[in-house]
Amino acid sequence: MEGDIVQAAKLIGAGLAAIGVFGGGIGVGLAALGATQAMGRNPDVAGTIQTNMILGFAFAEATSIYALVVALLILFVF
Amino acid sequence: MEAEKKSRWRWGVNRWIVLVLIVLNFIFARQFPPIAPHVQLPAEPIFPITLPVVGEFVVTNTIIATLIADVVLFVLAFFVWRSIRRGNQILTGITGVVEALTDALFSLSESTAGKWGKSIFVWMATIVFLVLIVNWTELIPGVDSVGLFEADHIARPEECTFDSFYIGSLEIVSVGGEPACSAGVIPFVRVASTDLNFTIALAIISVGATQMIGIRALGVSYFTKFFNTKTLFTAPMFGVINFLVSLLEAILEFAKILSFGFRLFGNIFAGSILLFVVGTLAPVFLQSGVLLFEWFVGIIQAIVFGLLTLIFMSLATVSHSEEEGH
Repeated sequence: MEGDIVQAAKLIGAGLAAIGVFGGGIGVGLAALGATQAMGRNPDVAGTIQTNMILGFAFAEATSIYALVVALLILFVF
Repeated sequence: MEAEKKSRWRWGVNRWIVLVLIVLNFIFARQFPPIAPHVQLPAEPIFPITLPVVGEFVVTNTIIATLIADVVLFVLAFFVWRSIRRGNQILTGITGVVEALTDALFSLSESTAGKWGKSIFVWMATIVFLVLIVNWTELIPGVDSVGLFEADHIARPEECTFDSFYIGSLEIVSVGGEPACSAGVIPFVRVASTDLNFTIALAIISVGATQMIGIRALGVSYFTKFFNTKTLFTAPMFGVINFLVSLLEAILEFAKILSFGFRLFGNIFAGSILLFVVGTLAPVFLQSGVLLFEWFVGIIQAIVFGLLTLIFMSLATVSHSEEEGH
């Protein structure tokens, strides 16, 4: 029975850790918002904006990936 | 006119081929229930070998994947070399793709880093190509799902069905029942990016090479970025602040390694788990979409890794005092 409680606590912990993903979602959304607005105003530099947008995606996404890694560590390592 | 007719006819045939494949997919998913591979963070050892200098060395499944990616890269390089050797002015097929990618990366590094673009391009392009090929190994059928079988890893073996047959003296086991039953399958090949050893090593190489290029560009004064004592005595108040900020910059350099390593690892590991889960829940049809998504994620992560390397390196070639000047 004890083992089951530990398992349940693990699953709850992993779920709580995955909450951090929502920040990354907001960040990626804001980056896409800014990039599409900039492209609409100035379509000539769309290529440059796209490159920088993907770079911004990567940075914003990184924090949510950390949350995901923590959740995966809880599930599969500990 | 003739060509158009012909292509329309081909399309009709392809449609039926796709339909037949989908029906076959349904039948086979019924007949052989899909396997969810054993999920484990550290790479699984496959066989130990004894190396001349290192001694005892365990070959893990991610090392095998890295070797496969290396072989693919060498073959690609050989094709490009042979094509150039023949004097082809216009590269076609796979060599054309390599040329287009190399050209895009080169113009990007030239426009970002200026005169240091050429030496930075070498690092960046190497990283992009290696990470790209390594990420795409997860799209090969059989990766992560074909492997050694060890029944000890299964928690409740009585709920599982094992069918085994022999090829010579080799026993082949197919596992049925619940997804947990396949915990005993240790894949022969696992994507190298799902091993922290690979990603952290690549990150250390990238950050180390950044320091090297910084020293080549600025000489010893490169280190004033990390230990800024220039204004410590002339303007004590701001000097101390500048010194502390520069110390933070030194810490950030180590944070970069972690950030590089975990970004690639997290994306690809989560992607491969997504592939297992979707493949187990809905073995028909749906996994193709996820495969397309993973193809995209693989390309994005490779380009992001290379692009960040490029940007950090080009920042390292510019000194702080120059930045304040303009």
